[in-house]
This record gives sequence, structure tokens and C-alpha cells, in this order.
Amino acid sequence: MKAPVAWLREFADLPDTARVEEIAERVAGVGFEVAGIDGDVIDFEITANRPDCLSIRGLAREAATVFGVQGSVGPGVQGSGSPGVHQGVQGPEIQVTLESPLCGRYALVLADVTVGPSPSWLVDRLTAAGVRPINNVVDVTNYVMLECGQPLHAFDLARLAGPEIRVRLARTGEPLTTLDGQSRMLDQSMLVIADRDRAVGVAGVMGGATSEVSSATTRVALESAWFQPVTVRATAKRLGLKTEASSRFERGADVGAVPASLARALDLLEAIGGGRRVGNLIDVYPAPAAPRVVTLTRTKLDRLLGDHVPDADVTRIAVALGFATTPTGSDWQMEVPSWRVDVSCEADLIEEIGRHWGVNRVPATFPALRTAPGRSHAGVLRTRRIRRLICGAGLQEAVTFTFIERAAAEWFVVDPATLVSIANPLSEKFAILRPSLLPGLLDALIYNRRRDIDDVRLFEAGAVFEATGEHQRAAWVLCGSRQTHWSQPAVEVDLFDALGVAGVLADAYHVTWRTEPDLQSPWYVPGRAAALMADDGTGPRHVGSAGQLRPEIAAARGLTAGVVVAGEIDVHALHDNTADGRRITALPRHPAVIRDLSVLIATGLPAAAVRGTIRANAPATLVAIREFDRYQGRGIPDGQVSLSLRLTFRDRDRTLTDAEVQHAVERIVDALIKTHHVTLRNH
Amino acid sequence: MSVEDLQQQFVAAMNAASTSADLKALRDDFLGRKQGRVTALVKSIASAPPDERRALGAGANALKQLIENALTVREAEALAAAPPKDALDVTLPARQPWMGRRHPLTQVQERVEDIFMAMGYQVIEGPEIEDDWHNFEALNMPAEHPARDMQDTLYLSSPVPVPDGGRAATLLRTHTSGMQIRYMEHHEPPVRIIAPGRVYRRDSFDATHTPMFTQIEGLVVDEGISLGDLKGTLNTFAEAFFEARVATRFRPSFFPYTEPSAELDVECQGCSGRGCPLCKQTGWIEVLGCGMVHPAVFEAVGYDANRYTGFAFGVGIERLALRLYGVDDIRMFYENDLRFLQQVAL
Repeated sequence: MKAPVAWLREFADLPDTARVEEIAERVAGVGFEVAGIDGDVIDFEITANRPDCLSIRGLAREAATVFGVQGSVGPGVQGSGSPGVHQGVQGPEIQVTLESPLCGRYALVLADVTVGPSPSWLVDRLTAAGVRPINNVVDVTNYVMLECGQPLHAFDLARLAGPEIRVRLARTGEPLTTLDGQSRMLDQSMLVIADRDRAVGVAGVMGGATSEVSSATTRVALESAWFQPVTVRATAKRLGLKTEASSRFERGADVGAVPASLARALDLLEAIGGGRRVGNLIDVYPAPAAPRVVTLTRTKLDRLLGDHVPDADVTRIAVALGFATTPTGSDWQMEVPSWRVDVSCEADLIEEIGRHWGVNRVPATFPALRTAPGRSHAGVLRTRRIRRLICGAGLQEAVTFTFIERAAAEWFVVDPATLVSIANPLSEKFAILRPSLLPGLLDALIYNRRRDIDDVRLFEAGAVFEATGEHQRAAWVLCGSRQTHWSQPAVEVDLFDALGVAGVLADAYHVTWRTEPDLQSPWYVPGRAAALMADDGTGPRHVGSAGQLRPEIAAARGLTAGVVVAGEIDVHALHDNTADGRRITALPRHPAVIRDLSVLIATGLPAAAVRGTIRANAPATLVAIREFDRYQGRGIPDGQVSLSLRLTFRDRDRTLTDAEVQHAVERIVDALIKTHHVTLRNH
Repeated sequence: MSVEDLQQQFVAAMNAASTSADLKALRDDFLGRKQGRVTALVKSIASAPPDERRALGAGANALKQLIENALTVREAEALAAAPPKDALDVTLPARQPWMGRRHPLTQVQERVEDIFMAMGYQVIEGPEIEDDWHNFEALNMPAEHPARDMQDTLYLSSPVPVPDGGRAATLLRTHTSGMQIRYMEHHEPPVRIIAPGRVYRRDSFDATHTPMFTQIEGLVVDEGISLGDLKGTLNTFAEAFFEARVATRFRPSFFPYTEPSAELDVECQGCSGRGCPLCKQTGWIEVLGCGMVHPAVFEAVGYDANRYTGFAFGVGIERLALRLYGVDDIRMFYENDLRFLQQVAL
């Protein structure tokens, strides 16, 4: 709201010494942020709750309260809750009918006019306030709107069908060409101003073009009304039409100012020689609003502010803002002025007192802690821990957008019907809620690769979405070399690097995940994907997967060379099993016996099967099995692979003898030969 | 032999020595435990006349030190001139393990969380997709409330179920306040919580706006909580966050869910309040919005608004991060350029 200070001074006796900057700063201090100052004009930002300050009068009232000066009545008539100055539903020349309760009050007056340019002072003021001058009649309505906050509208009476105004709902499909030249299709949810035959304006939003005031106009109908804020807002939104009028009506206009603003417009029109009233002012106000009285109690005031505002200041502030105030014991009865649509309860009054008393004066205290603080949610702590663990594994945390484009998302779901889409996306790039963290990470990886960063390791922890709900995941992508050092040839990352990240998490949380071929994640290269299976006694459960991303996905996103491996897990698989994690078992007191075993096995035989057979045929003293070499190629028959395993035997209570370990190993070897037809290479 | 003579002999011998082997022989000759010449000199002190012993002792020790120092320097020179065949080039890069860093936005978020956790707050989590009740209605923003314009909302094409079986989600949360409503629906006061998370607005994507950003909201509810308590808490936060005594200022503002409402400004760190481009010459930086919980919110969650009062605040992590890291384009936080991310200290 652009407010020329000279205009403000017409309604507030601000000290002559107060400079524009000082006025701006002090009014800003009571809640009206200053967007800019241009000469004499202060541009205030008006919050959505204060439509009364979308006017010079409203801002002047605040300024007068801040400076502790009289807010003068000024030219025109102060709006109030009282009914209009001239009552009656029928004037001499025109009839007004309200057919919908969405219009709470409607005032109309006729005037004979001589349309022409406005005097320069009026033109200057409108221009300073950011409103384009049009002609004296329209300029007067705009001037009054800026001054009083009440939007007015002027119809060319000759262009109306019959001397009749009806405020009614539009008919479905009813056409109207608005003042901006757009032809619009109305519907039954919209309130219109109509003549006998058709709509001539969208109530509270914009008038119609046919009844627009022109140089040929000789008699106008001047309208001042109050419309339900919700209907104005809904209509403006449906029409995609936001106007000075609609922004005031949808926040709540001053129902008390309806006739007074009209009277002000007539005075002004007469003063500039633009025209004069014909007949009575019609004011239809079927259900006048009852006065709103709110009690302000001393105890609540002190308690909510944490400060004691003296009685005299409470009264001074309230009265200056227009609240009719009556002390009752230590409390006050305050009648809310009709323009303060935002005040309805005691907290609202406390805000008024607090604003003008000064929030900065309230002493800073510290709230007492009455009970022991609660523990933060498990998910919060888990996410913090996961981030630290994966950082520790050498991956950099990324933060990618939650919404992605459909083409990027579809690679990472089995069924595109499970994707969650946004109804009103900003653009197609942000249309789908990510079904996985991987598409965002892949794009981030490619972003870096295109900037000549070869080795990229990124992870993210966050929410993913599918039609059945929201889930928390952690995911990672890696490309480039496993390690880059002058001492070693670069080795490109593979599936096992991706699995290693999962291993770090599983280890840290004391959970065990088995791997098996993943056949259900089409974004991975077949045969290079592992499903992570947890089993807490209730049967195997899929908790995530890792694998090599299909090259065509990266290619589609703009990366043509190199392997990209990835992994993603459901973070709920990481139970915070604190009790298990804390229990330390005593260290073994007897030495272990180690035996290495190299066997030739069929290429397709999983290591897990070999391990299973060993475990099934070993005594309890076999405490660990670990594969330490796998070799295929020269010296190994086709279709076979050499697998070397290290077996660790130990007894809790005694030192094992060579003979018994030997016996155990022989049993294991026999079983391997029998079950898998392995060939022993050493031993 | 006098100390002076011995010193002259050493200097002459050292000038003649060139290789490591020469220096080793020289060390043995002069400092050797059994036959070293200085060693012999020291041993002779005991047999010297009592009145000379003191001076002799001091001289011998000084000489020993001098020889030791000279040999150390020469030995190092000799080693540098002819290093061992298996010497490593210590100037080569180390084999350093990869080190990941938490994202700067995460670091700022955790920093804020930590400050409030130390003040006895619990950090809560909640869904990023919300229903209209938790995001708007319970926060005193009924349908068609003009304040909904302040938070241009992204809606889902079709409703998505939520885990607790409550109302299905229809929108992307525009703030984390919904978590606070949910918390109050299930807990009686006192309440002292922090609700961090991603929030979404239908906003353009440019240097100062993103359609997604990170917010931390706080809520305290108890008997007798006042605006003064809010001020004290936020002043404490500002000092802890900026690690300095910073001047703060509260400006009345408007949020539908608080009454009174205010915005907190802190003195610009760039110019100490004198005015600079960073603070648009005002000397102040807008940091967060806050206020006393609106009684309508208490009614929505079934709290006794006559008995309890509370305060709430919301701070944008990106905005704090821009200040903390001296970055002027918010998009850098979402590009995930490693050259950017790896500049951040751990």
C-alpha cells in the first residue's frame, strides 16, 4: 500500500518535524513492514489480517497511535457501525434487490456527471499511490477506495437495462465481458451485480465493460457494498482475476463504511466539479451486524505478554485504535470498531496492546522446565546416525529434490501406476514425488561427472512416496575408482562396493542381512544385483537392494561412459537395538586354529551354498568362515572357479588339538565333495 | 690436552670428512664411549687439581655439545646428498581414506536442533505429505482463508494413505506445523518440541526461492508461558547460533496460528548493524517468524486455552545457511556439486 505522507497527515496530526523516514520506521515498528520509500511516498506491506490498513485512513490511525497524536476526522465522514445516512430500498430512479445473503450490505446513489479529466492534485495523488488515472468519475471512486479502504464502482446508468440493480448468483454459462476486455464465462458459485436482464459486474471483483463510464456518460449509479470475503476470494480465484477491489473484499471490508464512503465520493465529485447527487442514497442492510464486545482481562494481558502495561497505556492505545473502551474493575470491555475484522478474541486485543506498547520493551525471560525433557523421536536419531555412518564410509551427503520428472521416476518402479503425482506442479520437471532416492542421486552424480569429477560417491537419507504411502530410505550411488592413488592402478567400483555401504550400516546396528540375487529391481543390470534379506525369526524380509545400474538409465539422463553402482535400503530395517549393541562378550582365552581350504567349484554355485554346507557339517568349534580368494582363468578348468576359504576353529574352554581339527576339516571336505562335487586343490 | 686444542683438532677433522662413513668415524673418534677423545678429557677431570676441575668440566661439556650439534648437521647434510636406496618420497600424496561430509543444510539443521536439545527440547518427525486439517484447518486457516495465499500449496493428484490410519494426505506440507498439531493431539502439556523437515511451496526456482526448503519449527506449551519467554528463548538461540552476542529486534507481524505474532531480526553480521548490501542497508537481517499460540489452535487439539499458553517459531534453514556460509545463491545447496559440498568443514 503506497501511502503519500501528505495524505496521511490529512488524517493524523503527525508532528511537522517528523521526517518521512522516521514515520516509516515507527509505523514499521508496529507491524507494517516498509517495502520502500520514494520521496514523500512510503510503500507499506500490509499483512493479510489488516484490510483496514489497505487505506490511508487505516495507516493514519496506526501512525497517530504510534506518535500519540490526534487522529483527525478529516474530510468526509468517518465510517462506523451505524446504518447509512439515507435509508430506504427504493430511490426515485432505481430499484435495488438483494437476492443472495452473500451480499451483506448494498448502497447506491445516482449522480449527474460531466466526465472529463481529474484536477492535477487528484491525478498526482493517484499516481503516487500507484493507481492509473482514467477520468474524474472513476478517479473519485479509486481515490475513496485508497482513502477509506472501501472499493466503489460506477455504472453508466444509460447502459443498464431498466432502472434496476439485482445482486444475485450468476447463471451457469452466463457471459460477461469485464472491464479488462476479457469475455468470461460465469457459474452459479459467483455473485454478480445485474440489471434487469444480465450481469453487469462480478461482485467485489470487477465491473462489466458494457456499463463502463465513458466520455458520453451523463448519469452514473455509484455502488458501495459489502460482500462475503469467502465468495469474493473463491470467485477471483476461479476467474484468475485479482484486483484492488477483490483483495480488499476477500480480506474483509468495513461494513460500517459502506454508505459513508459513498457520501465521501459524492462530496469529492462535487468539489472537483465532476457531478452531483440525484435523489436519495439507497442503503440496503438487511441484517445489521451487532456490535462486537470483547473483554480484556488484566491477568491474561500480563500473563501472555510477560510484562505489565499500565492501565493508562492500555486505554490510550485501545481508544486511539478506535476501540470504545469501558473499564470494569481491573478489566476492560472493548467494542471492536467495524473496520477491525481481524479482532474477535482476547488474544487479538492483547496483540493490539502489545504492538503499540512495544514487543521490544517486554523483558526477556526463560521458560521454566517443569518436567524432564522427552527423548527425541527414534527416526530423528536414526537419520542422524545413518548420515554419520555413511559419511564415515567415504560418501558425501547430497540433498536432492523430492519431486522429479516422470521420465526419471519411471525407471525406478516396477509399476508406473504406483507413482504419486502432483496435481499442480510448477513444471513437468517437478511433477512426480520420487519413488526412490536413486533418480535424484543419479542426476547429481551425472552433474558432477559432466564437470570432470570422475570419482563420485553420494548418498541421501529421506522420504520416498508410492500410492500406498510415504517411506524413509537411505540410498547411495558410486562411480569411478575404488581408490585413487599413484601407487595402484585404478580399479572401477562394482557391486561389492555398493554392498559394502549396506554392510557398514548393518554392522553398526548389529543386524545381519543375507544377500541373494535380486530379480525384482529392473533398474539394475540382470545378474549384477543383490537383494538384502533380513531374518529376525519371522521369515526372510526384503530390506533393500544393491546393484549396478543399467547403463541405458544413465545414458537417458546424459551419462554415456562408466559403471554406476547403487544401493537403497528401508531405514526401518535398522532397529536401534541398543541393548544388543552394548553387551560385550568375554574375549576367548584359548588360541584359535586356522585352516585354509581351496576348492574348485562349479561357476554357478553361490558362495553361500558352500558356506552352508561347511556350517552344516562342522562342529560347534568352527567360529568363522571367510572367503579370501576367488579365481577363474588360467589353470582352472572351464566352468569352474577356485574358491579359497579360511576356517577358524576355537573352543571356549580348552585348546583344540591338531587331530580333532584335522578330523573336522576332513568331514567338511567329504561333505563338500558329496554335495557339490568340488575338487580339493590344496590341503 | 686443553679443550681449545681438542676443538681445533675436531674442526680440522670435520672439514676433511665428506661421506657418512667419515662422519661416523669422526663421531667414534671424538664421542666414542670407550676411546673417544672428549670422553677421555671428561674422565681426566677427576685427576685434575681441585681448583681447575670446575672450569675444565664446563669447557669439556660445552665442547661435547658443540661437536654433537656440528655432527648432527653434517650427518643430515650427508644423508640428503646420498639418501638410502629404499628411501620413500615423502612429498608424494598420502593414501588418504575417502571422507564424506554431511550436507551444509544438514549441518545447519543439526546445529539448530542441538541448540534446542540443550534447552530441553525433543526433536520430532512427521510425514511430508499432509492432510488439510493438519496443514491448515487446525492452524486457524479454514478453507478460503486469505492467509492460505501466503503458502501457495502443491496438491497431490490423488489422496495417499498415512501410516497411523488417519486422514489421507492430499498435499505437500507447506510448513512443519502439522507435526506439532499431531504431537499435541497425542500429548498433554507441558510441550517443548522442535519439528524439522522439508516443506514445499508452489514457488519459482531462482537465486532466492526454491519450491522445496527446510524448516525448523519450535513449540512450547505450559501454564504461564509468555511473550517474554519467547524473547528470552530466541535471544539465547541467536547467540548460540551466531556464536556472538547479537542484538535482536522483534517486529509485530501476522501468522494465522499465533497471536500476537512477530518477526525476529538480528543485527547484520556483515556490517555490525551499520548497513550494507547484505542487509539492504537496514542493519538487520530477518531470521524467523514467531508468536504466542492462537487460542483457536489449542481448541483444535483439545487443550484448555484458559489454562495453557504457548509460543511457536519457525526458522528457514536455507536462510541461515546462506548467512553462515556466505553464499548468495540458494540453488547451490541443491546442485550437489562436490566442489561446493566438500568446501564445508565437518
